[in-house]
Amino acid sequence: MATAPRRNLNQTWMALADPTRRAILQRLSQGEARVTEIAHPFAMSLNGVSKHIRVLERARLVRRRRAGREHLLSLNPQPLDGAAAWIDAQRAIWTARLDTLEAILRAEDRAAASDLEKTSRKKTHLEKKGRSR
Amino acid sequence: MSTPQKATVRVTHRFTASPERVFDAWLDPQKAGKWLFATPTGQMVRAEIDARVGGSFIFTDRRDGEDVEHTGEYLELDRPRRLVFAFAVPKYSQEKTRVTVDIVPLGSGCELTLTHEGVLPDYATRTESGWTGILAALAKVLD
Repeated sequence: MATAPRRNLNQTWMALADPTRRAILQRLSQGEARVTEIAHPFAMSLNGVSKHIRVLERARLVRRRRAGREHLLSLNPQPLDGAAAWIDAQRAIWTARLDTLEAILRAEDRAAASDLEKTSRKKTHLEKKGRSR
Repeated sequence: MSTPQKATVRVTHRFTASPERVFDAWLDPQKAGKWLFATPTGQMVRAEIDARVGGSFIFTDRRDGEDVEHTGEYLELDRPRRLVFAFAVPKYSQEKTRVTVDIVPLGSGCELTLTHEGVLPDYATRTESGWTGILAALAKVLD
C-alpha cells in the first residue's frame, strides 16, 4: 500500500477537521454538483463557501471541471483510496479517547490533592487549638 | 474479489498517572464507560467487563436514540504492562479488530502505545459509504 507524503496527509486532515467542509463532502459523495448547488444549504455567503471549497481543492479531496459557464465539483476518491484519511480518522478517534482518559485521571489527582489539603489544614488547626489551651 | 487490505493504526500517549492506574482504567467498567467507547454527545447505558483472559465485555453507547454496542473479548492481560482485546461493533460490521495496549513506565508516569489492527474497508465502501462512515466518525470525535 503506497503511503501519501506527510504534507498531503496533514492537508487532508486539516480539510476534514471542519464540519462545513465535511458536509460539502457528504453532499458530493452523492454525485457531482454545481458550486451554487453546494452553497445553497449553508447559511453563509457564496464567498464563504468558496473558501471552504478551495481548501478542499488544495487538499485534492475535490475536483473542479468547467461545463460551459458552470463549474462542477466532484469528490476525488484518491486520498481516501490511499487509506490515509481513514487511518487518520481512526488515529484521531483513539487520541481523543486517550485524552479523555487523561482528563479523568488528572481530575482524580486534583480531587485527591484537595482532600489531602483539607485534611492537613484541619489537622494543623486542631493542633493549634490544642496548644493554645 | 480482491483480498481485504489490513490497516494498522498506532497511537502513543503519555500520562502522569502510574502504569497501574492507567492499566486499571481499561478494566474498571465505571471508569472505562466514561472514555473507552464513549462519545461527547452519547450516553453510555451499559458497561460490563469480565476482566480475565477469555472474558468478554460489552459497552452500549446511546447515540441519537440508537444503541451502539461494542462487544469484545480479552486475549491477554498482563498488569500493568500489556492488554490485548478483540472487539466488533455489530451495528456496522461483524469484523473483529484487535487492539494491543502496551504501557511502559516513564518517570512516575507512563507511556501507552495503542495498536489497532483491522481490515480496511474495500474500495466501494471507501468511496461512497466509506466517506459517510469517516465523516460520521469524525463528527462524533470533533463535534
